[in-house]
Amino acid sequence: MKNRAYFIKGLLAVLPLSIAVIPWGILAGSYALQVGMTKIEAQAMSALVFAGSAQLVATGMIQAGAGLGSILATVFFISARHFLYSISFRERVSKLPFRWRFGLGFLLTDELFALCNHQHGKAFKRSYALGVGLGFYVVWNIASFIGIILGSTLPNMDEYGLEFAVAATFIAIVVPMILSLSQLVCVLIAASLSTLLTALKVDGALIIASFTAMLCAYIFESLGKRRETKQ
Amino acid sequence: MTEIILMTLVVFFTRYLFLEPRLPMRLNRRLEALLQYSSFAVLPAIAAPIVLLEHGQVITSLTHPFLIPSILAILISWRTKNVVLSVGLSMTAMLFLS
Repeated sequence: MKNRAYFIKGLLAVLPLSIAVIPWGILAGSYALQVGMTKIEAQAMSALVFAGSAQLVATGMIQAGAGLGSILATVFFISARHFLYSISFRERVSKLPFRWRFGLGFLLTDELFALCNHQHGKAFKRSYALGVGLGFYVVWNIASFIGIILGSTLPNMDEYGLEFAVAATFIAIVVPMILSLSQLVCVLIAASLSTLLTALKVDGALIIASFTAMLCAYIFESLGKRRETKQ
Repeated sequence: MTEIILMTLVVFFTRYLFLEPRLPMRLNRRLEALLQYSSFAVLPAIAAPIVLLEHGQVITSLTHPFLIPSILAILISWRTKNVVLSVGLSMTAMLFLS
């Protein structure tokens, strides 16, 4: 298959996730406007930061009057999960030319990771990953733009519960991927621990909960394998 | 605008760091096996507090507007594996319930 065919395949693969992310993008755009950003700034945030959860949390902090330092620290904690993704992609992406590393790095979202991570070795196609990343980027920015337009005509867009779209999207990505008991263990521990630590206002709740859950699932998997070899 | 530029740099740093070949680091099998769980840990860790917390407190009522839609989202995505259907129906349910 030619590179262009892989690119188009990537665009099509990310289409359902792109449609699903539209309410979230609308929320990101309208919320940014509501806390006093200009339309240009609101659009620039989606175009440059391009990180849904970090954008929503940062916008909330701007509204609450938080300082720049604590906003950046929080963004770092929320974004720290990308370290896990980029380590996973390291073998496949670090050998590519700089423009590919830069481009795929910039486009590395939860959605891109979910669609491309299972492709190992030769199965990983950079054009496919680019199609996934760019397709998602374009829809995210159009949705944010719609949010900016709606937000300037309909105030209080944040009262419709659009943040539920974040949870709904992630549920729809993760649930069909669960194939083993250790993956289910990981999901349950991550969900409960993150809820608990967030309620206790622990800094870095997301990354602590995620890493603990991954470790527990790994240990659970290793114990299962050891038992199999004994029997 | 300064905040946005700085946020951009922070987020890009977390995305790019380990894609840089000059960064001295080798992956071993154990780390790779651990990383296979990334999506199964990070995504629920973001989603669960949105559903289960309200104003920073764990919800106690079963009628919280996000709870039933979330259960619906889990069931639909489990049975159909269809992202659009799952998000669409659960969002609709959420808008009706809230």
